[in-house]
Amino acid sequence: MSSRIVVALRVAATADRAFSAFTADIGVWWRPSPLFRFTPREPGVLSFEPGPEGRLIETRAGGKVFEIGRITVWEPPLRLVFGWRQAAFGPGQATEVEVRFDDLGAETRVTVEHRGWDTVPAAHVARHGFPDLMFLRRLGDYWLVLLSAVNAFMGRTSPETPEP
Amino acid sequence: MPDGRPTLSSGLSYRDPRAAIAWLEKAFGFETTMLVEAPDGSVAHSELRLGDGVIMVGSEWSEDNKSPASVGGKNTQTIHLQIESDVDVHCARARAAGAAVFAEPETQFYGDRTYRCKDPEGHIWTVGQTVDVVSNEAMEAATGLKITTNG
Repeated sequence: MSSRIVVALRVAATADRAFSAFTADIGVWWRPSPLFRFTPREPGVLSFEPGPEGRLIETRAGGKVFEIGRITVWEPPLRLVFGWRQAAFGPGQATEVEVRFDDLGAETRVTVEHRGWDTVPAAHVARHGFPDLMFLRRLGDYWLVLLSAVNAFMGRTSPETPEP
Repeated sequence: MPDGRPTLSSGLSYRDPRAAIAWLEKAFGFETTMLVEAPDGSVAHSELRLGDGVIMVGSEWSEDNKSPASVGGKNTQTIHLQIESDVDVHCARARAAGAAVFAEPETQFYGDRTYRCKDPEGHIWTVGQTVDVVSNEAMEAATGLKITTNG
């Protein structure tokens, strides 16, 4: 699948810690974006049902669950792949997110590859009228915001950093 | 500066931006922090970081954005990398990756040890490491230049 973005950020944590924070705590650090919402409703809370048969879901305030995608690769703490479908996607329209955690010693490089946007036509509502490349660039910027949010979350909750 | 961008960054045009990105990682130690690919697989946008610096590597995206390889090797700007240590090792790494080193590492009158090279498409890069702190007076005495600094 082409039409993809790749972003990467070094975080001050081990791969174990980063993988755990990314998956187990996604409901805390995730920041919804009006541009990349999963359903037309008020955004809910994201969570992974972990494991190789698991999935990523969004649970709205009323308890309704929207399945964003199935987990297709679950290899803690190095690699994670899951589907990303928005409610407005039609048949055959599906994207996929791969997250890699490269151990660099004191740091971990977290790389997100979001691919498959060629299955979602340029005129699709999910693209908000943006030209393809501008849309992808906005998506890349959004993922950098999200990775920074994971990093900030880990900084806030590090067991080695006492509360001020 | 994890999700922000510095005030100043530079965009470079290459005939083959994908090869350039791989080369810049290998030769100089850049890390690719964003890559946007078009449906045909071409590089639409990229950002590479080294320390607190950012460059954007792209194609020859207009008639006025060209790689030196397309304009007889001419450069109108050069990028300087200021590194903290081991400039000789940095140079050896760049040379091993295929950089054309045309000025070997040498300690300059202003206290930096620098080298200059061209990448595979002819972009000129200069790399320096401060090895000695030299006062303006000493530099003026050594060169006859008049040196003014503010701030």
